[in-house]
Amino acid sequence: MLVLALRSIRRRPGRFLATLLSAFLGAAITMTFNSMHDTAGQGGVDPVSSETLGTAAGVVGGYGTLLVFFAVASTLTVNVRQRTAELELLRCSGATPAQINRMVVGEAVAVALVGAALAIGPAMLGGRALLEMFQDSGQVAGSVEYSFGPVALLSGVDITLLASAGAAFLAVRRVRRGGRARTGVKRFLACAALATGAVGAGATFLFPATDEALMAPPAYGAILLSVGFALLSPRLLKGVLDRLPLNGASGWLAVRNLRERADHLAGILVCLILFTAVSTATVTMQAVESDAVKASGLVKSVDAKNLETLNLTVVGIIAVFVCVMLVNSLYAATTYRSREFGQQRLAGATPGQVLGVVGAEGVVLTLTGVFFGTVAALAGVVPFTVVRTDAVLPDRFLAVWIAMAAVSAAVTLGTSLETARRVLRTPAVGAVTLAA
Amino acid sequence: MTMFRTGARGDHDPGPAREALRLVEVTRTYGTAENAVTALDGVTLSLGRGTFTAVMGPSGSGKSTLLQCAAGLDRPDSGVVRVDGKELTGGGEAELTRFRRGRVGFVFQQYNLLETLTVAENTVLPLKLAGRRVDRKRAREMLTAVGLGDRLGHRPDQLSGGQRQRVAIARALVTEPRVIFADEPTGALDTRSARQVMLLLREAVRVHGRTVVMVTHDPVAASYADSVVFLADGRLAGRMDAPTPDAVAERLAHLGDDVPVGV
Repeated sequence: MLVLALRSIRRRPGRFLATLLSAFLGAAITMTFNSMHDTAGQGGVDPVSSETLGTAAGVVGGYGTLLVFFAVASTLTVNVRQRTAELELLRCSGATPAQINRMVVGEAVAVALVGAALAIGPAMLGGRALLEMFQDSGQVAGSVEYSFGPVALLSGVDITLLASAGAAFLAVRRVRRGGRARTGVKRFLACAALATGAVGAGATFLFPATDEALMAPPAYGAILLSVGFALLSPRLLKGVLDRLPLNGASGWLAVRNLRERADHLAGILVCLILFTAVSTATVTMQAVESDAVKASGLVKSVDAKNLETLNLTVVGIIAVFVCVMLVNSLYAATTYRSREFGQQRLAGATPGQVLGVVGAEGVVLTLTGVFFGTVAALAGVVPFTVVRTDAVLPDRFLAVWIAMAAVSAAVTLGTSLETARRVLRTPAVGAVTLAA
Repeated sequence: MTMFRTGARGDHDPGPAREALRLVEVTRTYGTAENAVTALDGVTLSLGRGTFTAVMGPSGSGKSTLLQCAAGLDRPDSGVVRVDGKELTGGGEAELTRFRRGRVGFVFQQYNLLETLTVAENTVLPLKLAGRRVDRKRAREMLTAVGLGDRLGHRPDQLSGGQRQRVAIARALVTEPRVIFADEPTGALDTRSARQVMLLLREAVRVHGRTVVMVTHDPVAASYADSVVFLADGRLAGRMDAPTPDAVAERLAHLGDDVPVGV
């Protein structure tokens, strides 16, 4: 089966590009930040520098692991779902479920290894740049030398491999079982995330205004709330669709497509909600914090500076990562619809009408994602602003929000429309007869 | 362009043309100069209104290309195609789509129903896309006529192959097209479902006055047609009226021996 796995990768490298990309990005981020552990672990590094490096590695490394798992899992789920026919064929030709598992997991591991190997070089450059950034801001002594050692290498490879193998195993199992069984667990997790998130955001009021950790409860609250919304996203999307008066053939088709595919679109909504919530909340709160410090006439301490660098780095990484994931999953999902578009065209849809359907779907997705992301972000930003200053909503919020919403809309619509436009170049008759 | 947009039922529509389909010296070649394959080699063909014609020939004889060129899905390299008296001219895909609306309906071997839509929604989809009034009552009558009046809310994946093909026929009829093109409509069906589908296609001709052009390699399916046109190596290779399955099979078996004759 492993031979089959390797052969199936070699024959169709394009199919695995999305998985490779997410494994590569995940490994690069994990290695970059874990190399801070290696750097701090060298002899002759002073305690302050060591602590800064350790915190950066710990916090972002933790985030990184989560992101890698999420990213690889979502691309693999899409990949496995699109190969249902092939897996069914293998099953009919006498492959046992265990053999199919081994093949899919084997492929995922092979791709993850390649991704991790490719990530080593960029991770070294990234780590060096990160260290220089810390040194420039005076948080780490200039004498500290960069080192890329066993911690970085092992953690990067291990996490990527584990995430890939685990995600592949879950994905193939879900496809085999039809994926209906675990909605109860999912709903419980979603409610738990929403409740903890609300408590986290509420806990902000218990802190004194100048506490250094004041930003933590609302930030985590916003993240948990967005995770909760993300888990509930298929249901939320259906709720939105029921209240949507869309006219015209394209809108009519878009609403029906989205309603049927709501469960498959969860991955895309997760990206949108997380991106909007995390980036808007963190950037706004950091701006409020900086303004408040400036107003009080104090100079920032090293810890405060650390926190700022960390905050912005984390947000930057999450934002870029989620954006790439969004492009990745939208591209994969839209390419896969070639046959469906062909059928629409044969039923009398002009290419413009097909693009209209894709565009309408993109708009509904963006609006839903941005709306729930904004709710989660506000749940973090408002308590923080009330405690830290006298206002309720900071002036900066609107500008940050507009920027983030614009990025979400541009990425979602841009990717799906551009991919659809390319897909439409295949003649309709060819598109419906192509093996999926 | 505006000429196409008004569709077959525009203000200046003189009614159905006597010739539903006319092809003059239609040639279609695939591939580049060195390894070009001539799928259609100067085919001239004329089909009257209200006829049911089967197009037959061995694999690679150009049957599907003929159907696609005639239906405006593919463009011939040279020659003239007229559907319902209107010449198919150059233009983008959008223009061809508008040309097909109201003139042409399709039935495919693989049904090509949209999985996300119900049976009723699939049936009215061409009307929606063409921006025409959706007559739900008429759609329901149409589906009842093909024996699916109790399946309106089902999705295609809840239906058997034969049922899906009957939905496809209802969908092809609902826009009241002048010509219905069917590409191996019984190719994926059992004999009983195939018989139902062929009877429905014949009814579309006899009762509704449509013109049906069907590509098939099944002599039994072809025997439901009024006449059979044979194709070999991209050229017409004879014609048979009032076909029977045995006569068609016999003729097909000796198609290579025939000297091509004009139609």
